[in-house]
Amino acid sequence: MKRSHHPDPATLALHAGGDLGWFQAWRTARHVERCGECRDEAAAYRGMRETLPGLAEAPGIQWDHLAREMRANIRLGLAAGECIREVDVAVPRVPLLNGFRAAFVAAAALVLVVTGIVLERPTPSAVSAGVPVVQATGEGVERRSGDHAFALMHEGVNTNRVTYSVSAQGTMGASYVDPQTNLVTMTKVYVE
Amino acid sequence: MSEAIEPGLELLDEQNRFISNHLRRIFLQIYRIVGNVADAQDLTQDAFIKALQHQEQLKDDQKAAHWLSRIATNTAIDFLRRSGRATFCEIDHAPESHSETPEELVLQGEHREYLEDGLRLLSPRERAALMLRDVEGLPAEEVAVQLNCSKATVRSHIANARTKMLRYMERRKR
Repeated sequence: MKRSHHPDPATLALHAGGDLGWFQAWRTARHVERCGECRDEAAAYRGMRETLPGLAEAPGIQWDHLAREMRANIRLGLAAGECIREVDVAVPRVPLLNGFRAAFVAAAALVLVVTGIVLERPTPSAVSAGVPVVQATGEGVERRSGDHAFALMHEGVNTNRVTYSVSAQGTMGASYVDPQTNLVTMTKVYVE
Repeated sequence: MSEAIEPGLELLDEQNRFISNHLRRIFLQIYRIVGNVADAQDLTQDAFIKALQHQEQLKDDQKAAHWLSRIATNTAIDFLRRSGRATFCEIDHAPESHSETPEELVLQGEHREYLEDGLRLLSPRERAALMLRDVEGLPAEEVAVQLNCSKATVRSHIANARTKMLRYMERRKR
């Protein structure tokens, strides 16, 4: 018989104790009937199981004496447990977050969030009338100081083709490429 | 005054009855797993203390017995895992039963030692599964409940344990 046709040792071990499901038990029993090798193995498992009840009883102990000792120790253990439990009950446990603490924590968190939002918000720069401002107007670059303005206009230029650039020093530039002549016109206005 | 004391006495009686009914069974169950009388004694006491601290679980006798068995098995397995050992040793007390002849007792002792050497080769859960199934004769479903695992896992533990024990016996025969 091919080796692959034999049940594995675990199946034979379970078969010996009647621990297989009905189909597997039937199939294994059928095989064991026909196969001498597996029959011997199954018999060895059964023999091994029959020796195990030798472990059922503890060796030569004076049970009454042992039982008395265990009873006394159990009572002692229970009494000790009661003492600990009483101490546990006597010390009132304050929950980590009671009503007041929870409200305080929530309020503190709210203040923190609001402060964060206020600080993060960009403040509009207040431009006073006397401070010169350079800006793009759509028709050119304009320098305005109060009511007075100076503008460099891009005459006859498609305003959509003008590229504006602004520097941190307050300089504003405008560049334009004429599509017909390919001439580049650059304008820079400095604020001083 | 007596009314105030009565419930305490009743509880004490109930606890004593519970201990008396199950002490020997639980001690032997633990002994079979740890294989040592002194450890089995300590662990039996622990198991009863754990169980009796949850008095509400002890109302139904049958359920309480099952529950106690589970506590006992888990306590024994935890102990074996922690200590990483199972030491089988005899105690010095005189034998309780005198029906066997000295020769029989020696043979019994040798047989036990032989089996206990084999049990040392098993993992704690394999040992527990083998003891509960093949020595105590519990059905595999009940062993699964006691070990808090599936029936398939228990079957695997039982199969491994039997195979290891058989191989051990074959080696000893040579």
